[in-house]
Amino acid sequence: MVEIGLEELYSDIILDYAKNERYKKEIQDAKKAEGKNLSCGDEITLYLKVKDNIVKEITFTGHGCIISQASASMMCEYLEGKTVDEANKILQEIINMSQGKEFDKELVDGIEIFSDISKFPMRTKCFTLAWHTLDDALNGKNM
Amino acid sequence: MLSSKEYEEIFPALKRKINGHKLIYLDNAATTLRPKEVMDAVNEYSLNHHANVHRSTHTLAAEATKYYEDARSKVANFINSETEEVIFTKGATESLNLVAYSIANSNILRSDDEILISTIEHHANFVPWQQIAKIFNLKIKYYPAKSGIFDLSDFLKHITNKTRLVSITALSNVTGQLIPVNTLIKQIRNIRQDVILVVDGAQAVPHLPIDVKKMDCDFIAFSGHKMLGPTGIGVLYGKKRYLNEMTPFLFGGEMIDKVSTDGTTFNVLPYKFEAGTPNVDGAVGLAKAIEILERIGMDNIQEHEKQLTSYALKKLKELDFLEIFGPQDETQQSIISFNMKGVHPHDVAHLLNDLTGIAIRSGHHCAQPLMKEFGTSATCRISFYVYNEEEDVDKLCEGLNKVWEWLK
Ligand SMILES: Cc1ncc(COP(=O)(O)O)c(C=O)c1O
Repeated sequence: MVEIGLEELYSDIILDYAKNERYKKEIQDAKKAEGKNLSCGDEITLYLKVKDNIVKEITFTGHGCIISQASASMMCEYLEGKTVDEANKILQEIINMSQGKEFDKELVDGIEIFSDISKFPMRTKCFTLAWHTLDDALNGKNM
Repeated sequence: MLSSKEYEEIFPALKRKINGHKLIYLDNAATTLRPKEVMDAVNEYSLNHHANVHRSTHTLAAEATKYYEDARSKVANFINSETEEVIFTKGATESLNLVAYSIANSNILRSDDEILISTIEHHANFVPWQQIAKIFNLKIKYYPAKSGIFDLSDFLKHITNKTRLVSITALSNVTGQLIPVNTLIKQIRNIRQDVILVVDGAQAVPHLPIDVKKMDCDFIAFSGHKMLGPTGIGVLYGKKRYLNEMTPFLFGGEMIDKVSTDGTTFNVLPYKFEAGTPNVDGAVGLAKAIEILERIGMDNIQEHEKQLTSYALKKLKELDFLEIFGPQDETQQSIISFNMKGVHPHDVAHLLNDLTGIAIRSGHHCAQPLMKEFGTSATCRISFYVYNEEEDVDKLCEGLNKVWEWLK
């Protein structure tokens, strides 16, 4: 369908993040949230530790395609150390980006490598899986 | 078989370019491409003859009824059944739900009777049985297919003197393994006469000759859209002996005999199971699709796909970065599942599409119990139909090499 963006979508940065195992682990005493893409069979579990309103530790386990894995790893790296409010703001901008709407580039620094994701409707849900799960973990919402 | 140029005339989608590449459609197990002739037949009916069936006495109504009932005869002839044993549904899923629910609701099964199904089934032939067992408090047993491969003699060991219903796919929608249903039915009947045998023919009916009398199944379910027809039309064949005994699945118009505040009696077969205004357009399209398949010849289709599948298996086995599932021998037909080592199937399918114009399927294929047997959550699946040829397989292998270079 859309050729533009395929090189970016499977760029070295994204491939590296997908392979990066740093955030792929369980953590004890953390808040857990599970996300699934039912039609794909992809699943992730997110582990979130918040202290003094700051994201102290965030990791995930599960399986999925390169897009979903890279998105989850990038999300964990990016949110570590952010306040809950900041995390929620980022989440909103990411959702806007995934829907092809205007979004604040400064707030999603680095993750805008996925800015073309809305042009791949079949892959958007791979990208947003981790973020919807985050919404559940932060706000008890399962979108 | 016809040449690829001839097929391009029959199936306009084959002329499409995807990202500048000629479309190679290898997702036929999901749904097949549409022949122009089928859509022309549907249009002709819709524009000139459409009316509600079986109800009114005007000309259009009579024509519509004739189109619809001719389609039913066409289907009956295609599978060698009686006309009133053909029930139109919206697809294999509805057909299987209809049998499961109606049988469970008809006191045909006693509470200690067992239903036997296998772990290679499509969810449409798994979940309905599991759910009716729960609702009606029946017993259900699962034959665990080791490594996802169905083994007849192993399966037969699961038939006990309690087994009263067996529902089995005739062709796995994931591995393409052809289940020897004719032999299976004969052998089960040798063990126990009164076992009800249900066949999920969604993948078999489009690809090989089916004769329900020879097969001696009690029910077979299939879908129009997997055999060149429109979506929203499917068939349930059932033996009269059971259909007569079964309570209707849906209630409403056309399926009744007498209705009063005292109660309701039901219409004769097959109308008893066709409540409401049916999908006449779909039936007309399915009849035309069957005409096309008969013109090509079901034996020819099976032979063509057997050759193509064995060619593809040979070629795919040469790619050492692939893991192939299923028996990988001559018992496989039309469908092959595989994974690229360390790469998720969605990535493979997406890149194949965008880089080469090849359409394949990725995911769990509505067969999660089977995925579990394979120890994976998803696979890549290719599936052939009449218009595919060896060149498509060669292009697929080139494409897979390209994707592997990108992602390894
Ligand atoms: C083996 C099998 N059974 C049942 C079905 C359900 O068919 P439908 O979705 O047309 O009702 C399918 C379709 O994928 C199938 O492959």
